[in-house]
Amino acid sequence: MLFVRPARLSDLDELERMARAALPVLHSLPRDRRALETRVALSEDSFRAEVEFPGEEFYLFVLEDAQTGRLLGTSSIVASAGYSEPFYAFRNDALIHASRELKVNRKIHALTMSHELTGKSRLTGFYIDPSLRNEANEAAAHLLSRARMIYIAANRKRFSSEVFSLMLGVTDDTGASPFWDAVGRKFFGRDFEQVEAESGGRSRTFIAEVMPSYPLYVPLLPGEAQRVLGEPNEGTLLAYDIHLEEGFEPDRFVDIFDAGPVLTIAVGKSASASSSELRTVREGASESGAPYIVAAGGAHEFRCIVAGLAGTRADGAALTAAARAALGVEDKDTVRCVPLHQASGELQ
Amino acid sequence: MIVVRCTQPGDVDALVALAQETGPGLTTFKPDRGALAARVERARRTLAGEAQAFEAGYFFVMEDTATGDVAGVCGIETEVGLEQPFYNYRVSTVVHASKDMGVWTRMSLLNISHDLTGYAEVCSLFLSPRYRTAGVGGLLSRSRFMFIAQFTDRFPQRLCAELRGHFDENGESPFWDAVGSHFYQIDFNEADYLSSHGKKSFVAELMPRYPVYLDLLPDAAQRAVGVTHKDTAPARKMLEAEGLRYENHVDIFDAGPVLECHTTDLRTVRESVVARVRIGDRTQTDSDAKSLVSNTLLEDFRCGATTGAVENGAFVLTAEEAAALRVKEGDNVRVLTSYPRAK
Repeated sequence: MLFVRPARLSDLDELERMARAALPVLHSLPRDRRALETRVALSEDSFRAEVEFPGEEFYLFVLEDAQTGRLLGTSSIVASAGYSEPFYAFRNDALIHASRELKVNRKIHALTMSHELTGKSRLTGFYIDPSLRNEANEAAAHLLSRARMIYIAANRKRFSSEVFSLMLGVTDDTGASPFWDAVGRKFFGRDFEQVEAESGGRSRTFIAEVMPSYPLYVPLLPGEAQRVLGEPNEGTLLAYDIHLEEGFEPDRFVDIFDAGPVLTIAVGKSASASSSELRTVREGASESGAPYIVAAGGAHEFRCIVAGLAGTRADGAALTAAARAALGVEDKDTVRCVPLHQASGELQ
Repeated sequence: MIVVRCTQPGDVDALVALAQETGPGLTTFKPDRGALAARVERARRTLAGEAQAFEAGYFFVMEDTATGDVAGVCGIETEVGLEQPFYNYRVSTVVHASKDMGVWTRMSLLNISHDLTGYAEVCSLFLSPRYRTAGVGGLLSRSRFMFIAQFTDRFPQRLCAELRGHFDENGESPFWDAVGSHFYQIDFNEADYLSSHGKKSFVAELMPRYPVYLDLLPDAAQRAVGVTHKDTAPARKMLEAEGLRYENHVDIFDAGPVLECHTTDLRTVRESVVARVRIGDRTQTDSDAKSLVSNTLLEDFRCGATTGAVENGAFVLTAEEAAALRVKEGDNVRVLTSYPRAK
């Protein structure tokens, strides 16, 4: 039985192992043990705190195998992206260029550096063990990724009403980003990794400040750069699809460095908010039914699992002893249930 | 004698015939009788002081007085952009730098500009291929500066000339392909034709509203900025000798350079002098000086090229030359003398 819970300082060894395995490096999961410890402590404080509006909080979740106690993944939420410095993204604007006389009417896209996402809550730090990166274990990836939106939907005050998530953009066989080559490189004259390394742990904001301040007309960019605009890296396709299933929209923003998609969602319109229902736990054998993410606990102690649930809300949630243990619930407790997949037709 | 003179209403037939000789590409001089008649009339009203500032413009023809053959045209617009806006890109510099990161990058931006509004513009030059021999093209082009030198107070402080941009061996403009084609969705020639015929509203409606980073464009487009069409290179050289310079303004369609100058800095304005006419046979002096000579009349302005230089405040014209230039003994003429470089 796999379940998601908040990370604890006692997880530090396991977290360090995962931080070192994660490629590319996750900014929210530093490899340095001391930095990592600070992050985990911040997360513990954040879950514990009474929060009236989003601030510096950081929430780190882990995926645990209940049988072995081994951790198999992480995901996290930054309550307010760019809390201390602006968060940059390219906003993808459509400009209409029309001439009645010439009967020309054309939509031209331009990328404009924007701070609009500053202060919004951001999903980040998704890492899942390689053993779970296959179709048979897809539900585990859904659970780990979507646990965050379920937590957000159940604790609205702690987060902004709009949430975003950045995906890695497309790179070629040599690891080079065609978008960086067409745009960022012209400003920096070197590889992105090199710039990032040379910025010596400074934030990406620092780099952003050297980037173009005027809008970039998309049709004027090289074809190679246009093709990767808003396209997720192959390695993040599953994560991308999971976001779409949650209801995230892909087209409004792209990353300023590699043009990877920046997905956005209004929390109220997310599947976790709009398709969730409260059911009463009852003891039961493992029934076959539609897969649900079942969550328990409040703001301070959150758990979730994947379980098959039959019937409707009135039928309650029949959960096995293992599931009840993983969630820390007993008979007659209330759990929040969100279908793992949206009914077809509701998908974009 | 070959002279350049102001157009007359009677020139319209000859202008239509001359315009038949233009190939594709010259968009300002087409065999369109109505348009040409209007242009001649506009020039007449300008000379007569009846034209308003936004429409004032001069129009000249080159005529062989021996045969009456009209073989070239050129013009001056007095103040561009006062009616339809006059658009260019200004190529400006931005520096993106971060000392901490060791980054210092100079970038060029193309900004839509109306900087040249109110400038005079020398334009519409066409010379029949039949007359493309040494000196004739120079006379046609530079006669305009003789006119400006004679009537400086009819012109604003600054002057410009737009030159055709670079086209590759297939006749394609790399700059148009990289920029304009995405916004205008019509063919270069159509865009050029419409804009030079006063239908400029589409330019404003369709052009990029934000500055364009030149460094992000394909290399071929970057290299074309401010570069002159190979056929226009001699014209550029002549204008530069006159004192005009590329000052980072380019055409919005083909990125051809705009050359600019203060009118008082024009070589012809600075160096031409007024002299008295002496009719006579050209004395066989050892001087091989060549001179542009014009009369000082407005409506009947005439300018030609001959040999000789001003001596003791006088310039010698043959009787035939004096007749062609409509001057007589003792009249004033304006003279610009140049000396061949090699002795």
